[in-house]
Amino acid sequence: MLLDYDKLGAWKWLLLGMTLLVCLFLLLPIVFIAALSFGSSQWLIFPPPAWTTRWYGELFSDPRWLTSALTSLQIAAVVTVLSVVIGFLAALSLNRGSFVGKELLRAVFLTPMILPVVVLAVALYAFFLQIGLAGTTLGFIIAHLLVALPFSIISIGSALDGFDKSIEDAAILCGASPWEARLRVTVPAISHGLFGAAVFSFLASWDEVVLAIFMASPTLQTLPVKIWSTLRQDLTPVIAAASTLLILFTIALMVIAALVRKGRKT
Amino acid sequence: MAILATADRDNGRAQGLGKRNSGFSHAVPALLLIILFFVTPVLGLLLRSVTEPELGLQNYAELIGSGTYLRIFANTFLVAGVVTALSVVIGYPVAWALAVLPRHWSQLVFAIIILSMWTNLLARTYAWMVLLQRTGVINKTLMGLGLIDTPLALVNNLVGVTIGMTYIMLPFVILPLVGVIRSIDPAILRAGALCGANRLQCFTHILLPLSLPGVAAGALMVFVMALGYYVTPALLGGTANMMLAEMIAQFVQSLVNWGMGGAAAFVLLVVTLLLYAVQLRFFGASRID
Repeated sequence: MLLDYDKLGAWKWLLLGMTLLVCLFLLLPIVFIAALSFGSSQWLIFPPPAWTTRWYGELFSDPRWLTSALTSLQIAAVVTVLSVVIGFLAALSLNRGSFVGKELLRAVFLTPMILPVVVLAVALYAFFLQIGLAGTTLGFIIAHLLVALPFSIISIGSALDGFDKSIEDAAILCGASPWEARLRVTVPAISHGLFGAAVFSFLASWDEVVLAIFMASPTLQTLPVKIWSTLRQDLTPVIAAASTLLILFTIALMVIAALVRKGRKT
Repeated sequence: MAILATADRDNGRAQGLGKRNSGFSHAVPALLLIILFFVTPVLGLLLRSVTEPELGLQNYAELIGSGTYLRIFANTFLVAGVVTALSVVIGYPVAWALAVLPRHWSQLVFAIIILSMWTNLLARTYAWMVLLQRTGVINKTLMGLGLIDTPLALVNNLVGVTIGMTYIMLPFVILPLVGVIRSIDPAILRAGALCGANRLQCFTHILLPLSLPGVAAGALMVFVMALGYYVTPALLGGTANMMLAEMIAQFVQSLVNWGMGGAAAFVLLVVTLLLYAVQLRFFGASRID
């Protein structure tokens, strides 16, 4: 009754009303920044007195925004590749391996995801200061890899769960070496899991703020660090423009991911 | 399958199938990464909390003994509690609706939730900084409607932090709860109705109790996440009402006090792990995803 949509009675309107309000609540900030980024007022007045692309002009004419975006992109690309490769190996081990302490290992691999990022950030920052990795690209990559890896392991692990291992065994029986079988049979079969791992790893690195704030140096900062430091000074509409581009980028990634998923099903 | 199994036994070892029996070696790169750059730094920080400036527990004593720090702990738990309560109260009906809505509608709502989740955290927080300011849209709308005469202080305080964090945490309650509500057998509710229960009784006696494990798991997750949140409180909160994560960052970045920073981080770490242990104990591992 309460779980049949048609028989909810008056409750239906309560549920639909709440859902509508929450959808508006969730969309409000996104639509709002997009509108402000084209508004002429420096003081972020809404609705804007006139429309302009001035803030996008300022964004693109400031080389620091571009540099930080490129830094983010490079780091995220390297992190994605490493995360998928290391995550694939770790997922293979957790999925196929039989050794003592496997469940403990699984828990250890996922811990960076549940721990407050600020704790990890402070600990890594102290450690990197000691070993000379603070403010370096390698430092960024290691830090981002730590948060990206659990996503990879989960995504690839669930794909491996749904893959019939006997197909790989068949390939081996037909003369393939174990690694050949893995690369030419297993990898294509779980490509959706690998793709998911890549998307999640990329976004985890690309959007990472807290670790990046601690890893950054005045000369090396990612896009979120640049937004963060600008935000702490003033609420310029240039950030609205940068944010709008980031949102479009996210939507594009989501659409690609959805299309890939759809293509796989049909 | 029988053929494969026989082949496995006969040829397996020679062709490398036997190696699968271990498989630990593949985990080594990930394990090295975690040990070197996760376990070591965290233990190092813990060590510094009891050795700097000198050996002993004085950093912890200072954390517990000082009114300032205790107030920060209180703020943090208060905000995390309110954010959790709000997220559950607002999220429950939405999760319920998502579980029963016709497929195309629920897909649309899901898309909106996922979009908001994946939208850059700083972009969303920035939006709330602008929306909530004194001359912001929300204050202007409320004044325009004649509900208030002077602008409300919605930002640079715990009110702003609570609004911003509830916004961010809502999906983390809704998404797991949808699965729990969907897994409830509608026949149980029909049976309740046949036995004469009205809708409200069905809700309070059947639906709510059956979905309670999902509510508790989601609530605990949001609470834990909120306790350690840094970005949103730092931007939407005021300097007067700091939260735990900000305090840790400040110890380390501005005050360069590794002892106190490490001690505060360790307290947060222990509370987090304890709450996760509670979650594992009562709701199983599957809820953490």
